Amino acid sequence: MSSLAEIRLSLNVFLAHYKHAPLQAGAILLGIILAVTLLIGVKSTNENAVRSYSEATELLSQRASLLITPNPGERYLTEEVYFRLRQSGISNALAIVSGLAVDPEGRRWQVQGSDLFAAINLQTTQATVNESITNDENTRQQNNLVNSDIPIAKLLAAENILLMSQSLANKVAPNGEFYLQDPIDKQKPIKLEVIGLDDELGLGNAIVADISLAQRLLNQPQQLSYIALFDDPESLINQITQRNLLQQQANITEQDQGQALQELTRSFHLNLNAMSMLAFVVGLFIAYNGVRYSLMKRQKLLVQLLQLGIQKNHLMIALICELTLLVLIGSIIGFILGLQLSLWLQPMVAMTLEQLYGARLMPGSWQWQWLVQAMLLTLFAGLLACLPLYRQLTNQPLARISTKIGQVSHLIRTHRIQFTIAISSLACCAIAFPFAKQYQVSLGLMGVVIIAIPLLLPLTIYKISQWLARLCPAGIWHYMIAETKELIGPLSLAMMAMLLALTANISMNTLVGSFEVTLKTWLESRLHADLYMRPASDKILDINDFLDQNDKVTGIYNQWTINSTYQNMPIELVSRDLYSTKVTSSLKAQTNDLWSEFQSGNQILISEPIAIKYGLNLGDSFSIAPFTKALSITSQPITSQPISSQPNSLLPTIGGIFFDYGNPKGQVVIDQLFWQNIGLPKKPKSIAASYQGDVTELEQLLVDTKLIGTAQMYNQAKIKQQAIAMFKQTFSITMVLNSLTLIVAAIGLFSACLMLTQARQAPLAKLYALGLSKGQLRLMTFVQMQLIVLLTCLVALPTGAILGYLLINKVTLQAFGWSIAMLWDWHAYIRVVVIALTTSAVAIAIPLYWQTRKPLINSLQQEAL
Amino acid sequence: MKRLPDISLTVINNAQRASIFMIALVTLSACQPEPASSISMGGILGDSSSQLNQYATVTPGYQLSFPADHLSHDDFRQEWWYLTANMQTESGEQLGIQWTQFRIALAPEAAQSAISDLDAANPNALNPDALNPEVLNSEALNLDSSNSEASNWATSQIYMSHAALTSSVAHQAAEKWSRGHPELANVSAKPFTAKLDDWQWLSGSDGLFPATLSVATNEFSYQLSLTSHAPMQLQGDKGYSIKSADAAVASYYYSQPFIDLSGTVTRNGKQEAVTGKAWLDREWSSQFLTKAQQGWDWFSIRLDDESALMLFQLRGANKDLPAFYSARRMFADGTGRNISGDSSELIAMTALQWQQTASGRYPVSWQLRIPSEQIDVTVSALNPNSNMPLSIPYWEGPIEVSGSHNGNGYMELTGY
Repeated sequence: MSSLAEIRLSLNVFLAHYKHAPLQAGAILLGIILAVTLLIGVKSTNENAVRSYSEATELLSQRASLLITPNPGERYLTEEVYFRLRQSGISNALAIVSGLAVDPEGRRWQVQGSDLFAAINLQTTQATVNESITNDENTRQQNNLVNSDIPIAKLLAAENILLMSQSLANKVAPNGEFYLQDPIDKQKPIKLEVIGLDDELGLGNAIVADISLAQRLLNQPQQLSYIALFDDPESLINQITQRNLLQQQANITEQDQGQALQELTRSFHLNLNAMSMLAFVVGLFIAYNGVRYSLMKRQKLLVQLLQLGIQKNHLMIALICELTLLVLIGSIIGFILGLQLSLWLQPMVAMTLEQLYGARLMPGSWQWQWLVQAMLLTLFAGLLACLPLYRQLTNQPLARISTKIGQVSHLIRTHRIQFTIAISSLACCAIAFPFAKQYQVSLGLMGVVIIAIPLLLPLTIYKISQWLARLCPAGIWHYMIAETKELIGPLSLAMMAMLLALTANISMNTLVGSFEVTLKTWLESRLHADLYMRPASDKILDINDFLDQNDKVTGIYNQWTINSTYQNMPIELVSRDLYSTKVTSSLKAQTNDLWSEFQSGNQILISEPIAIKYGLNLGDSFSIAPFTKALSITSQPITSQPISSQPNSLLPTIGGIFFDYGNPKGQVVIDQLFWQNIGLPKKPKSIAASYQGDVTELEQLLVDTKLIGTAQMYNQAKIKQQAIAMFKQTFSITMVLNSLTLIVAAIGLFSACLMLTQARQAPLAKLYALGLSKGQLRLMTFVQMQLIVLLTCLVALPTGAILGYLLINKVTLQAFGWSIAMLWDWHAYIRVVVIALTTSAVAIAIPLYWQTRKPLINSLQQEAL
Repeated sequence: MKRLPDISLTVINNAQRASIFMIALVTLSACQPEPASSISMGGILGDSSSQLNQYATVTPGYQLSFPADHLSHDDFRQEWWYLTANMQTESGEQLGIQWTQFRIALAPEAAQSAISDLDAANPNALNPDALNPEVLNSEALNLDSSNSEASNWATSQIYMSHAALTSSVAHQAAEKWSRGHPELANVSAKPFTAKLDDWQWLSGSDGLFPATLSVATNEFSYQLSLTSHAPMQLQGDKGYSIKSADAAVASYYYSQPFIDLSGTVTRNGKQEAVTGKAWLDREWSSQFLTKAQQGWDWFSIRLDDESALMLFQLRGANKDLPAFYSARRMFADGTGRNISGDSSELIAMTALQWQQTASGRYPVSWQLRIPSEQIDVTVSALNPNSNMPLSIPYWEGPIEVSGSHNGNGYMELTGY
């Protein structure tokens, strides 16, 4: 027989086998499908987000190459700058004004206005440029715009029309009407017609208006938030600087292809990726379990094939072909389901990214490469897991027809090896962890821990049940416990998957729970005033006076803020009065003479995320543009002294590091006097007040003065509520993935139990023949399996805690820069255990019932195991 | 007749995707039925003609007056300021340039101001007189200046500018769009200015001349001084220029064929001095073509006897429909003779040679005969590939004339 014929024959035999036992093929497929689904779901979500950052376009227009932004410390720039740019021939320019508008209920909405005619025209130009390369995607968007009913005439004429994505429009303006407060006459709401545009246009949650209307809605006549330019940045910068087109009224900001956003959100995406890899591994466990089981069932068949003269390596090739085929089918189904999953996950991710980082996600897209990647990954992992098994099977002595594969002694040896590997890799991690300073490294180490933990399981359970068996009275109970040991082998893979899911779940719960508590405590100290106000800059002094005159106001606190950058990281430079600074900064570390040095301007406070990200410590000098600019000016008079000898002597040093949570920007706090000395804007940005009595009363008083609107005031409760909501949002996606992993593990357990009970028909029949009733048998099997699950849960307790500890003290700390006090939540743990026991109860009970329903005595004739 | 087709009706067939969009943008927004909240017979019948009625119409007997009529007429749907020039470099190379500023109304001005002024409860807005174009114009201006809250951004006008530079070997064209805005794109008086971003006609007076015209694109730029002392030439019947034999469509149309030009042209990074002659056309209307008309072939020719000839034919949508011809022989003292009619006895035009360009196949050489003027000339393009691959593709370029007369000029071909 030719080799090809042999392989074909083997495959035909396998096919016939699977026709006879579809469950086995189903279990393998299920594992692969689940693994690939989760992998692809998260991958496409992530890739889409990253693509959105790098291709982020101006709303309804194309991607800007350069931005003209307001001067530091200012929120708007005058539109004269825009006119100058256009009049000097920079025609591919878009004027944008954005800000918050308030609806009659006091909710705030981000409204973005741009010259919609220019925006759409720019997009059209872009499409024409791309026409030669027939970019399908652009054509599609193009057609969408053409087909959409943008009433451009009315929009340009400043009629009250807003554009939103269809889904947002359905949510906030189901009847096509939307109301916003008139910023001048607050009592008079403005009625706006809402036009829903295809979600594909990527408006996200933005509310778009023509600039003619937006300037009015935002009460920013003749003001712009920024100008987007679309030509080659280098020549634009030349042109702008040579002709002095900005005239100190604005700044040039170069676009970075979304790098800043990628930087900001990297840890978030890494988090997602790690979760998806975990889910992938859990899925593969199921698949592997399926493969093992089906091989076990086919052991005799394989030996027969060998006895018939089929060569070993041909049989091996046939087995690999079978696996490849299953992987192909599973991956394709998983790919389709994964894209579906990502459609479901994306709104959740989009919400987080938009709220936390201000990043807009574009409509999803996917690539065939992902399918190929997923297939190769699955195939690789599958082969890696199955090849030893295949080798072992095809190398069996031909004479052996006995079907005892999983001899206990052999299994124990495997378990011992697994245990040793696990312990040694855990030990390595324990040694390496203190030296891991980057979260990527920590995450990698954590990956090793996650792999090691399930390997510990079989031997641990084996030992425990051995010990339990000794305690038990002789008889059926003793038999039961003793036999449990036998079950560990076949069940161990499913249990490993379960353990992984449980451990991940417990550690995530710990992280989220701990973070919530830490955040709440931190907010308590951070928010020392009752009412926080951010009025228009010309009103701030009047408000100060007004508050001053009110007897019930017990404290007025001003805050000065400007945006700056430290080594490309966006930071806020903040100054408050000394009392507020002392009260609100919960310090992680400080120098001995912090406050006196702080007041003299020699020391500053930085937030924990900056300190961790750049490895800064107390006493390090800290240099950002506002400092160096001011110091280079003041140091000019003393030119007689060589400045270069001690270049950093004038720069302030770090005197304290304070906790800061959930703020994507770094924060630097300096003393008020120092602020003034280095020539930063004199007017405070915001103002806060402590009030004796109901704070809403003060809010009303302030509204009555017409100095400030409700939209510009936040009371303490509101801020806390928003902060907690935002935090929950950040973790919601991870929790969803976590639950999915648990579900996958439960499915794995179900399939394992199903196969196991089927395999154990013969021993059960023996016991039945010996006189045990069906009920007793059912109870016995049930207890045995639940015992294993319970033991797994017990193992998951310390491992979950370890993982949680690492998540909190390594990964989160290094990735986000947030110190979190670890809190052990027993309730959450018990909840997880109950969930696990319940799911496994169902997973055991159903197959058990199916199996024991049939006359057991028939099974006696079946070949055992 | 000059230039830009009725944006709403023609040229869509061979337009690029981009231009379909822009045209659709212009027409859809102009022609869409009123929202359901104000159902009217006009709304139900809502085709282009119903809203067309709300634009000012071109009527015979209107007395053109300058400099007022150099400015824009926002109550009409379309308008343009159109300059073409035949020039020579110092080395004797023949060049042609084109500059055009188009104005397109997105919505009838009267209706628009009525809507936007409802809030302000301005009684003028509902005044029936507001529909009279002349009253409206002044009213609209008053409104704008009196209502300090009105944003300069709010507009119902959009502007489009085309610029081109043609030599015998190269033809470069560019386009800009903008919404109407006093700082960005408009036509204003004191002194007369027509601008879109940095493409600007800046006059030194309230009149059109003397003026400088500056255009800069990535590929080429030109800066020209324009002077003219000849009187304006009113086309048709004192500026009332019909575009079909039954006078169903017409425009206000005047020209200045006698402009002296000098300045510089920059191409491929090299600046050259140029001198030459230019021709300005001014035209506005609310409807230029009937549905039965396909496009036109238009010629502006300076003959070697110091006269100038404007000549066009409007082709029917199919072979059976007769073309409509119109021409005017003009002299620098302001006098001129009209030749018009649909008989080929009076004006005969025969395409001699066709050229396949990237944006279509155009007849780039013609035999033109006007027996009453003893004109029988052959026209040939300086560069047969002078197609304009812009939002609305057409052919526009310098021509050379020989035969009974010699001369040069410009040719525009649309609807192919």
